[in-house]
Amino acid sequence: MTMESPLAEQKPRIVLQEYKLAQTAPIAKDHFTVKSFKKSFKIVIIRNEQNEMEFDMIGIHPFLVNAFRRLILSDVPTMSIEKVYISNNTSVIQDEVLAHRLGLVPLKADPRLFDYKEDASAESNENDSLEFELKIKCTYNKEANKKDSSRAEDMYKNNNVYSRHIKWLPVGNQKERFKESEVGPIDDNILLAKMRPGHELDLKLVAVKGCGRDHAKFSPVATVFYRLLPDVKLTRPVEGEAALRLQSCFSPGVIGIRHEKDGKRVAYVDNARYDTCSRNAFRHDDIKDAVVATKIPDHFVFTIESVGALRPDVIFTEAITILKNKCAALLEELESTG
Amino acid sequence: MSEGSSKEPQKTPMVYICGECHNENEIRPRDPIRCRECGYRIMYKKRTKKLVVFDAR
Amino acid sequence: MEKCDDYSTFGDPSFYQKPIKEIQEKWKLVPAFLKIRGLVKQHIDSFNYFISVDIKKIVEANNKVVCDADPLFYIKYTNVQVGTPDVDEGFNISKSTTPHECRLRDMTYSAPITVDIEYTRGTQRVSKTGLLIGRMPIMLKSSNCVLNGKSEYELAKMNECPLDPGGYFVVKGQERVILIQEQLTKNRMIVEEGKYGIQCQVTSSTQEKKSRTNVFVKGNKYFMGHNTFADPIPISIVFKALNVINDQEICELIGISDVHKLIPTLEECHNLKIYTQESALMYLGSKLVAKRFVTSAYKIKTPADEARDLLATTVLAHVPVEEYNFRLKAIYVGLMVKKVIEAQTDSNLLDDRDYYGNKRLELAGSLISLMFEDVFKRFNWELKAIAEKTIPKIRATQFDVVKYMRSDLITSCLVFAISTGNWTIKRFRMERLGVTQVLSRLSYISALGMMTRVNSQFEKTRKVSGPRSLQPSQWGMLCPSDTPEGEACGLVKNLALMTHITTEVDEYPLIRLARNSGVQDINMVASFAIHSPSTYIVFLNGNILGITKNFKKLIDIFRMTRRKGYISGYVSIYPNHSHKSIYISSDNGRLCRPYIIVRNGIPLVTDKHIRELEKGIRGFEDFLQDGLIEFLDVNEENDSFIACYEHDVSVRTTHLEIEPFTLLGVCAGLVPYPHHNQSPRNTYQCAMGKQAMGTIGYNQKNRMDTLLYNLVYPQAPMVKTKTIELTNFDKLPAGQNATIAVMSYSGYDIEDALILNKASIDRGFGRCLVYKNSKCIMKRYTNQTYDRIQGPMVDVVTGKPMWKHSCLDNDGIIGPGELVQNRQVLINKSVPTVSTVHGTTNTSVEYKETPITYRNDEPSYIEKVLISTNEEDTTLLKILLRQTRKPEIGDKFSSRHGQKGVVGLIVEQEDMPFNEYGICPDIIMNPHGFPSRMTVGKLIELLAGKAGLVEGKFHYGTAFGGSKVKDVSEELVRNGFNYQGKDLFYSGITGEPLEMYIYSGPVYYQKLKHMVQDKIHGRGRGPRAVLTRQPTEGRSRDGGLRLGEMERDCLIGYGASMMLVERLMVSSDICDVDVCNKCGLLGYCGWCNSCKSSAQVSSITMPYACKLLLTELQSMNITARLTLTHYCE
Repeated sequence: MTMESPLAEQKPRIVLQEYKLAQTAPIAKDHFTVKSFKKSFKIVIIRNEQNEMEFDMIGIHPFLVNAFRRLILSDVPTMSIEKVYISNNTSVIQDEVLAHRLGLVPLKADPRLFDYKEDASAESNENDSLEFELKIKCTYNKEANKKDSSRAEDMYKNNNVYSRHIKWLPVGNQKERFKESEVGPIDDNILLAKMRPGHELDLKLVAVKGCGRDHAKFSPVATVFYRLLPDVKLTRPVEGEAALRLQSCFSPGVIGIRHEKDGKRVAYVDNARYDTCSRNAFRHDDIKDAVVATKIPDHFVFTIESVGALRPDVIFTEAITILKNKCAALLEELESTG
Repeated sequence: MSEGSSKEPQKTPMVYICGECHNENEIRPRDPIRCRECGYRIMYKKRTKKLVVFDAR
Repeated sequence: MEKCDDYSTFGDPSFYQKPIKEIQEKWKLVPAFLKIRGLVKQHIDSFNYFISVDIKKIVEANNKVVCDADPLFYIKYTNVQVGTPDVDEGFNISKSTTPHECRLRDMTYSAPITVDIEYTRGTQRVSKTGLLIGRMPIMLKSSNCVLNGKSEYELAKMNECPLDPGGYFVVKGQERVILIQEQLTKNRMIVEEGKYGIQCQVTSSTQEKKSRTNVFVKGNKYFMGHNTFADPIPISIVFKALNVINDQEICELIGISDVHKLIPTLEECHNLKIYTQESALMYLGSKLVAKRFVTSAYKIKTPADEARDLLATTVLAHVPVEEYNFRLKAIYVGLMVKKVIEAQTDSNLLDDRDYYGNKRLELAGSLISLMFEDVFKRFNWELKAIAEKTIPKIRATQFDVVKYMRSDLITSCLVFAISTGNWTIKRFRMERLGVTQVLSRLSYISALGMMTRVNSQFEKTRKVSGPRSLQPSQWGMLCPSDTPEGEACGLVKNLALMTHITTEVDEYPLIRLARNSGVQDINMVASFAIHSPSTYIVFLNGNILGITKNFKKLIDIFRMTRRKGYISGYVSIYPNHSHKSIYISSDNGRLCRPYIIVRNGIPLVTDKHIRELEKGIRGFEDFLQDGLIEFLDVNEENDSFIACYEHDVSVRTTHLEIEPFTLLGVCAGLVPYPHHNQSPRNTYQCAMGKQAMGTIGYNQKNRMDTLLYNLVYPQAPMVKTKTIELTNFDKLPAGQNATIAVMSYSGYDIEDALILNKASIDRGFGRCLVYKNSKCIMKRYTNQTYDRIQGPMVDVVTGKPMWKHSCLDNDGIIGPGELVQNRQVLINKSVPTVSTVHGTTNTSVEYKETPITYRNDEPSYIEKVLISTNEEDTTLLKILLRQTRKPEIGDKFSSRHGQKGVVGLIVEQEDMPFNEYGICPDIIMNPHGFPSRMTVGKLIELLAGKAGLVEGKFHYGTAFGGSKVKDVSEELVRNGFNYQGKDLFYSGITGEPLEMYIYSGPVYYQKLKHMVQDKIHGRGRGPRAVLTRQPTEGRSRDGGLRLGEMERDCLIGYGASMMLVERLMVSSDICDVDVCNKCGLLGYCGWCNSCKSSAQVSSITMPYACKLLLTELQSMNITARLTLTHYCE
């Protein structure tokens, strides 16, 4: 993977000064054209795991990257529990608080297979909502081998209510369309409530499709963010103890130490990608002039941390689709009015 | 304690839960309020049977 | 005190030594101290003393009741006991109760007071034991409380929070605290500037009497003033009346070198020709204040006899007089005169009223004992009155006084006093209001803060600075930060963490010890020797005990025996060299605190002891027992040389501070890094910490308070203090660690407003639960009728309950879990219309509906419904209502540094700035909050909190200590963060990096109880007051928004006359009136009733208030005539 474009020296940079950011040259206010964008834009996928993805977007304006970030946060939909019908709750947790906690449980269900609900008061149907049930009762544990224990988990049964206790109730043809493992909670071990013998929960839960703007529980990501690719340059050789000090001012791996033949230790820039931009070199008067940390203004390191309903790459493509649709809708609006 | 409304006479005694031993007690209007099991004098009403809907927000 | 008086050693290089090594983990003494003492030990100790000792003394002092009607009749109390709290179950069965049951059932947590008596029935002598004379409200966690010495598990069984400090009373279901009352010390001479000049004042107080005696100078003569005498009495006459006839002896007793100053005073005697005790008493008798009523008519005393009695018992009542031997009193008066004369020339000898050595704190125990003695005397007096009335009558049965001993007098008197706070003591003519307050249960800290509150007797309205300002002597005793703002500023104070308030210690062993240590009995000393230059006068609790030549030895012996534990550790002894006196105190109400003893420049507590403490081999008592630590009161503290830190210890040092952070109180202890803050900010936080929502106790879900605020997800602060751990605030927290970014955003953050992240709110930040309660009792009336509850009313058409009753169950009471809207019925109660007429039992009773309805625009859920009976066996219903509230614009938040702010804007997460780690702040705070407030502590809290997050540990911000900025910065650097805590942020709106680095990290934020939902108010049209027809006032009555006087002035100044008319009349109380042009009076319907014509009546509009004024004037026979002209003329 390429760390810097070969033309890096000519391009404007954002310099991390001691007290503020500065730009080496004003960023050219060139008009955005699809042609030039197509030519210069590049995506490099660094990491793509189950729930986390990191990729570079190179040659793009911040507003576009930010638009993707914002869309992912608040416009990419997921399914979440929205209504809680409480038939019984004799535990100590308050009904509203329990409902709130249930709402925040992420579901595996693929939102692309569902429709938005027409309006909040409408009857739910198989295409726009999922139904679950949470029926659980806490009792004393009768098992003999755990009689003498005073640990809550030995004394009682079901004293902790976890997300695995939520049971899916298929509506209509949902039974054929999905498997239970495809729609339920992301994780089995999300603690929902604590109970003691005699306490009982009897709930029906209805999940609907929604987006993050409405409530954070619909957001498909834990967080999504980007940063500008950092670059570190040494302006003069740094040797000996100062070199070690310089190394400690940056994140591990940014500054390497080379052992010269004459026994000198000389610092060199190894890999600036994962520098956290902590600017700690400014603490040391003797080395603060030896190093310049900059940011490349059109090279974005984009990270998506999915909550688990959708894979991060899917989330990103969804965001693009939404942006496309929004643009199309805007154009349509302009044409119809213009 | 109470009497069924004159329009709909419901003489069924209500069930209350003892605050000490959680025993269920039937108490009629004007009965002394005392648990039959443990003699405790604080009773709580049982949770409503009605279905209550909450927004998960 | 070992060598401290040897001033020559100071400066001697041979005594210089290496700095003392720091005692590691010395602070662990503080938890050890608090473990045995608890946070409110002062209340509990004082109450225990009353229950076990004082009550017995009181009963013994008033143990005999005789009556004039029958010389044989008597009642003698031989013993008194206070039992354990119980509740009457009817049929003479009582059952042990718990405080929580009393809270829920609105009962009083009280125990029976029983006496053993011996009395005469006819001619027989009878003795009875265990006779109930009343019930005593019991302080929680006192020796008689069921919670005393219980384990956490047992407390949980009783529904009690193990962290609850106790020290309050449960009276009629309400938790009430008897506040600590601060007052001037009793029985001590105070020399100060008085009305005429220097005066010496003594407020004497004994069990029976309370009086104030003044010796003052007026012109060149010395007088004594006392409120039993109409005029000031020349001192020489007082001495003569005290049987000191000889002028020379008078001079000797006063004992000043310059006798000439006394000549004018002595002359007075000769002018009035008073040469004997008798003539002096006659003179005093003539000056007596005329009595308004003559008590016992048959015992008329001569004025001289009366004056003698007064001198013996009332003037300087605390100085004992036996068999009319006035010697001691004469010496005492002589000393008072001496002090006045000396202070005339040397103003250094004036005493400071605000000095804490001259203050005593009155606690629950002593206040209740005053009240109990008063009511016990009344009880006996009533028994006597009954006996006097009944015995002369000839009756079939013999007079048995036991039948007349009713327990309700004492019970109701005590309950009334505690439940209202009105402390009326008849015999001292004392009347104090607001002695008790309802324990504030807003948060755990507010309850704890209330238990340490000290109330001053000063008037709040007086503009005095002396009593309000910080006194140097309150160091370590009273918190310098925790005081309210406004009118009570400096008058209401709080105890510091380690302060203890003494209880009384028996004097007798101290007298013996003093005698054995070379104190000569004052009665054995010749007059001229008392004030001899080589002797020191020894005082014990304000009374002269004797004189001593070797005061150093006396002090050394006392301190040594105290450290050995032979006398109580709370006895204090200290010299006053300018008074040439030694003062020994063993009285109650002195402030004291523990110190490590330093001998020869070496602290006695060593690392070894602390290690033993850690292992649990050693407790705090052992430190006291081994003489390593001792308690010093304010006066003795002033005679000691106390080092704050080990490196300050020198040869002259006598004591070492245990930990400096203990000089702060409970509330100020919550502030991290308070020593970096501007001091008023800590004071503000002390006030705000009490309004923060959070948790109030482990039993909070079992409680049914009238108002209770809870946080849904409370968190322990990232930056703790030692005090937080000691007070268990981390177990019952009130706040959340919010990630804040210090930057400006959107302009909705001016004037301390905060920007909140909507996603944080969605995820539960600042979410709170508000519980309110609604209660009613089902009364029973004299005519056999009852209040009743009916089931829901059913709509005939639909067959369903009507809307108002839709939440009701069949028993007419709302069920838990239901949602109740405004104006819906909670309890469908109805009361009989006729409740006073007797007899009519079976005839049908008419009922009036008096439903308990829900009144609030926001709906609530029912948490639970309690049904029980109270003490009078009437049914009690309590309904607990619950609301969950999310933060909204206008809700108040504050950090722990007196930085409060309201929510100005709630922003979507996508619009919030984010940093290189993808972290979005929960709160954005405007940086303008810092420069003027100078809350550097908050900046350090943020830094320490951030380092704590990355290292996975808590940091400490303990006062005068805590994690250092340097270390914290180093931790940040180690984890790849900027050492200043400033990060690179990207704008969430433009997506570009922000030009400046943003200071960001976690800060503990408290949600305060002031929420817009409870305050929001506006109105277009609405209700009006009946009398004036103007809009009503106040939110609760849906009142109008007042255009006040100042606003009116603005409009007048602007000349907006039509606007004025519109605001003050048209939109308020416009009214059409008919005015007669002829007579100028008001008419009606176009008819003038005084002219009996409708010829010249015209209709005008005016404010109804004006019309009301005119008619009211008319009703007072004042005619106001209106003259009308045309508007256009």
